[in-house]
Parts: sequence; structure tokens; C-alpha cells
Amino acid sequence: MGRFLRIAALFFGVVLVIAWSANSGPSEGSLEKIKKRGYITWGSDAEGGAPYVFPDPKAPSRLIGFEVDLAGAIARELGVEARQAQNAWDSLIPALGRGDFDIAMNGLEITPRRQEKILFSIPYYVYTEQLVVRKEESGIEGVNDLVGKRVGTLSGTVAQEILGNIGGVDVRVYSGQVEPYEDLSLGRIDAVLLDLPIAAYYGRPNPKLKYTGAPVGEGFYAIAMRKSDGDLKKKIDEILDKLVRTGELKSIYERWDLWNASQAKLTLDKKASSGYAGVEESKKAPLRTFLPGLLKGAGITILISTASMLLAISLGLVLVLMRLYSRPLVSTIAVTYIEFFRGTPLLIQLYILYYGLPNLGVVLSPVVAACLGLGMNYAAYEAELYRAGISSVPKGQMEAALSLGMTRRLALRRIILPQALRVAIPGVTNDFIALFKDSSLVSVIAMVELTKTYSILAATTLRFFELGLIVAFLYFGMSYPLSLMARRLEKRLKAGMR
Amino acid sequence: MIQVRELHKYFGEQHLFKGIDLDVMKGEVVVFIGPSGSGKSTFLRCINGLEYFQKGEITVDAVSLHSINRKRPTREDLESIRKIRLRVGMVFQQFNLFPHMTVIENIVEAPVKVSGMDKEKAVEMASALLKRINLEKKLKSYPSELSGGEQQRVAIARALAMKPEAMLFDEPTSSLDPEMVGEVLKVIRGLVEEGMTTLIATHEMDFAKEVADRIVVFDNGNIIETGPPAEIFSSPKEERTRVFLNRVLKKD
Repeated sequence: MGRFLRIAALFFGVVLVIAWSANSGPSEGSLEKIKKRGYITWGSDAEGGAPYVFPDPKAPSRLIGFEVDLAGAIARELGVEARQAQNAWDSLIPALGRGDFDIAMNGLEITPRRQEKILFSIPYYVYTEQLVVRKEESGIEGVNDLVGKRVGTLSGTVAQEILGNIGGVDVRVYSGQVEPYEDLSLGRIDAVLLDLPIAAYYGRPNPKLKYTGAPVGEGFYAIAMRKSDGDLKKKIDEILDKLVRTGELKSIYERWDLWNASQAKLTLDKKASSGYAGVEESKKAPLRTFLPGLLKGAGITILISTASMLLAISLGLVLVLMRLYSRPLVSTIAVTYIEFFRGTPLLIQLYILYYGLPNLGVVLSPVVAACLGLGMNYAAYEAELYRAGISSVPKGQMEAALSLGMTRRLALRRIILPQALRVAIPGVTNDFIALFKDSSLVSVIAMVELTKTYSILAATTLRFFELGLIVAFLYFGMSYPLSLMARRLEKRLKAGMR
Repeated sequence: MIQVRELHKYFGEQHLFKGIDLDVMKGEVVVFIGPSGSGKSTFLRCINGLEYFQKGEITVDAVSLHSINRKRPTREDLESIRKIRLRVGMVFQQFNLFPHMTVIENIVEAPVKVSGMDKEKAVEMASALLKRINLEKKLKSYPSELSGGEQQRVAIARALAMKPEAMLFDEPTSSLDPEMVGEVLKVIRGLVEEGMTTLIATHEMDFAKEVADRIVVFDNGNIIETGPPAEIFSSPKEERTRVFLNRVLKKD
């Protein structure tokens, strides 16, 4: 009982510290601080970020984009310099709240849910959602034709909510802007719904793709600031208003070919709160409403890790047999494979499999690419574990088997491997648990497994803490029985030989 | 039955056997003695192909094994090595029972998997063998549950289960506690009495004297002397034999 109290007290203390540090990040008087400092930091994601903010193709160390121009204009009006702070788009708002930068400006749509967490400036751009399909597609003419289709979009966007609200759409969520259009042209998905500037930059130039239907879901981009930075918001609103009136904003958009009739609404003195509305408030939804989604993600995690572990176990066996018992050439191939897969990041291997192979004409589905990637990577580790197991079997075992007239192959199968595998089993189960967690990496190739489900749900609801605990618990609930099972198995095998 | 001609064996640069010749008749019992490292174990291991040799020829029952110069033997080489192993059983100093199998499984493994014997028949035969070595009660035990002497007796039964025409014993009692040596030698003695062609490398001089038809003395990779036990033990021709015998017999 006393122990339980101590643990409870410790846990409570940890929560307190987290809560305290979350609030203590930003401080009052940000505007003065920026002016004193001489620069303003703005958070955005330059990875696949055209035309908002992205590396200049001619000089990749320099960032360009219409938001870069806008940030420059705002900084100039403040009498300071603008500095971009790189941050994954999904987590711009939590990072802003943590105090990583002064403002966040990266095509952030005004939504009621976000407004609960942060302050929005007056809008600086009127966006619409544009549907893009393949050239030869004729069955999709608007968002209502999307039921039953595979549609790509970005995680945490208004487009994702629109698709979710239609119902019956197979929504594929990506974290970058390039990949959905890439997959669309490869035929992995049927359509992409994203903000018009993104579609204009990534979709339209692709000769295999075309726009379809009228733009939907008009809304506003605005600059996000912390709730405590009211003075900064007032100043930025003034500056934006000035940029609209002087026509500087228009000239920026014209330079990027983004000006259209909708932008006229910017000049009407609209309240920021009149942005995209009509989304149910999942912020207040009870946690159990997220469970089906999370459980589905967990199911996919189990499926992927089990399938790839089976591949790793068997491919690893082939590799170790090639390495130890084959002609020198074959053995060298196995060694090269093992060193290559152990010596390069799994992430790169996944990228090559999923986005690289299509260049050579091989298009893998996400599930196949995920299982292959994880399985081939772990096979290298399993092979090494087996090798350690085999070398732990005394030489006399092989000699005894051979002296009884067994062939090498039979001796391996019946005498050496059964003993070697017993030695390797603890390592293999360890690897299974590690692979289980590594499976979260496959979210980069559009697999929505447990971690991806979490980051999507958390990014849209901003409930990183509660959802994070649930997901961590789910992972633990899956991996702990595994290690218990491993321990039992080990004991049983040991009992067999003693 | 076994003929060895002009056997040369190198360990790297070291030239161990410099042309050994030996004939063993059917039913003959030949005991190899000599100091540790003199080559008697290696010689036995050459006969059933566990050691490759660089020059010479070994013939067992009309199956010839030629010198193997290459690092990797050819398929034909491996096949003839295997044919020889099917005719010649081997017992090792370290027993080398399969630790993941029970006693009975150890014995029936090769008859079933190699010779294709019916499983039931194999178990029947194995039980008979175990009875002969007085271990019929241990057939479900694992090797780690047996004493050293019991393990070595099972290893002998395992080799016999393949119905060999000759048996090679590579220092079968050297890693046993003294009180267990007797039970193993008793089993070997039984085999010899049945007329099994037997080659033994050992340090048990009394046993050698008792069972051998012929003693072969190894020293430094050479056969320095062969002859009937009475002759070797009472009036060896070679000085080196005398020195060796004096040393080991004094120890006892």
C-alpha cells in the first residue's frame, strides 16, 4: 500500500511538473522582446513546402515562397529581421505554445478548435480546397463522387476534415505535400484534395494530373500566436491591414501566381472568427470516441510487425546459411547484404523502397513496402543472431552427425540449427519487440498504423497528452505479453536440454 | 578391410604424417598408443574423413578416399566420404551426444533419417541396444541427466545403430572419471568378443594389452613400431617406445 502511494505521488509530481513547464514557456511582452532582439522567428515547415516556404531550387540554402515574402514585409514593418524556424507542420501549434518561435505562419487555416489554443491574426489569404485527379479519370467530378475512393490529403488540414465529414471516403493521410500527388500519378490513390496553393504548385504542373470540380471549403489562412501575446497580435493585425491596403500583399500573390478573385474578401473587414466552421468539436469529445481509430491503428501495427518479423526470421536464416555454408561468392553476397542493411538507416531503406523503386517501374503498395522494408532490415540482424547461435554449438556436434553418415544439410537441419536457435531465441524475441516499435517508422510511406493515427488525431484535436498516454499504453499492452511469452519459451527450451 | 597408403597430412606448414601405410584385416582389433599429439587421433579422424589429407589413399571395403588438396571437397569426394562413414562407426572422447534429444532419439535419429528405417523398427532396435549396455531405463532421459560413463555408452549404442562393419574409438575413456572407465571398456570388450573390426586410440595400457591383436605405436606423426601386445609391452624394438611405455606404466 505504501509503495502504491509513493508511486501515485511520484506520478502526480511528474504531471505537475509537465503542466507547470507547459505554462511557463512564453512570457509577456513578446513584442518588446522581438524589437530588442532585432529579429522575429516564424515557425513553418519548409519540407515540401512550396509555394509557401521552400528551399530555392537554384540556391537550396535560401528559402523562398510567398510566406517568406510576407514574413519579410512584416519584419520590415516591425523594424526587425525575419528568421524562419523549421518545424514539422503537424506540430507547429504545440511548438508555438512551447515557445519555440514567436509566430507560426504556414498555411494555418482558421478553425474553431485551433482558436481555443492560440490567437489568430486577421487573415492573409483566402484559400479553397482543390480536387485533383489523373488525366484519364472521368468518374470524379466533385467531392461527392469521392465515396468509396482512395483520396489523399495532408494530416491535420481542413481538407482532411471535409473528407472525413463526407463519410465512406478511404482517406489516405500524408505528412508531406509531394507524396500524395506522386502516389496519385502512380495510381496508388484516386484523388487528392488539398489547399489550392498546394494544388497549383504540385498538382497542376504534373502532365498526368488535372483539376476537377469547383473549389470547395473556402477558408482563411492566418498567423498564429500564443494567447498571451495580445500586444503582438494587435501589431501584426495593423501591419497586415496596411499590407492589404497598400496593395503590397496583392503584388506578393501576383508574383507567386496566387492572386484570384476570392482574395478580394481580404479587404472586407472580416472577423477572423468567421473562418472555416461547421466542424464538430472533437476537442471536447470523450476519449473513447478515439478508441476505434486507435484500435484500428494498433491492428495494422500488429499486422505489419508480425508479417515483417516472419519475413525477417526466414530471410535471416537463408542469409546465415549463405554466409556460413556456401561458396565464397554467395557468402560474400550475404555478408554485403547484412552489412548494407545494418549500416544504413531503416528510414532511407523505406524511402528507397516506396518512393525510389517507382522510378525503376516497380510500384509497391504501402503494406507490401512496409513489410518488405522492415523485414529485409531485420533479417540482417536475425542472421547475425543465428550466426552467434551456430558458433555456440560445439564443433563435435557436427562431427558426430557427419560420422553417423548424415549429409551436411541434414546435420544442419536436425542437429546444429535446433541447438543454435535455442541460443538465438532471446535475441530474436528482443528484436521482435524492437521491430514492433520500429514499425511506427512506416508512417512515412503513407501507412496509417498506431503512431500515425496518434499524430493525426493529436494534431487535429491538440490533445497530445491524453492520446499519447493511451497510445503508449496500447503499445505496452501489446509488447509486454510478448516479452512474457518470450521468457516462458526460453525457460521451456532450457528445460529441454538442461 | 581398411588400407591406408602413403598418407600425408599437413597442418598449415607443419608436416604431420609423412607417408603412413597400414592394413587392418576384417575382425582385427588394432590399438593405437603413443604420446599426446603424436597423431593417433588425427589418424583415426582421417579414416572417416573428419580430417582431410593432402596426399595418399584410404580404402575401406573397396570405397576409396583420395587426397583432398582443395579447400572444398567436390561432390564425389563428399559422397565417398559418406559411404565410408556408413561402414565405419566413430566414438569420440567428448561423447558428442545431441543435447536437444533424448537418449532414444539420439540413437534412432540416423537410422531413420539417413538409412530410412521405419521409426517403430528403429525404436525396437534402439531399445535392444540400450538393454545391452544396461541403460534401458534411461531411454527418455536427456544427455545432461546422464553420467559421463552413461553418455559414452549411449554414444557407442548410437554408432552401433547404423550397423557399421568397423568401429573407431578416439580415446573413449580419456574424459571420464576413473570409476566410470570400467563400464565403458566393458562395452567395448563385448564388441571385440563378437568379432567387430575395431580401431582404438587410448591411454589405457592394460586394456590395450588385453584386447589388441596388434599394437601400433605413434610418435611425432610416424608409426614407429607395430606388433602383437606381448612383444611390444615386453620387448619393444624401438628406444622411443620403451621411453613412452616406461613413462605411462610408471604413472599407474
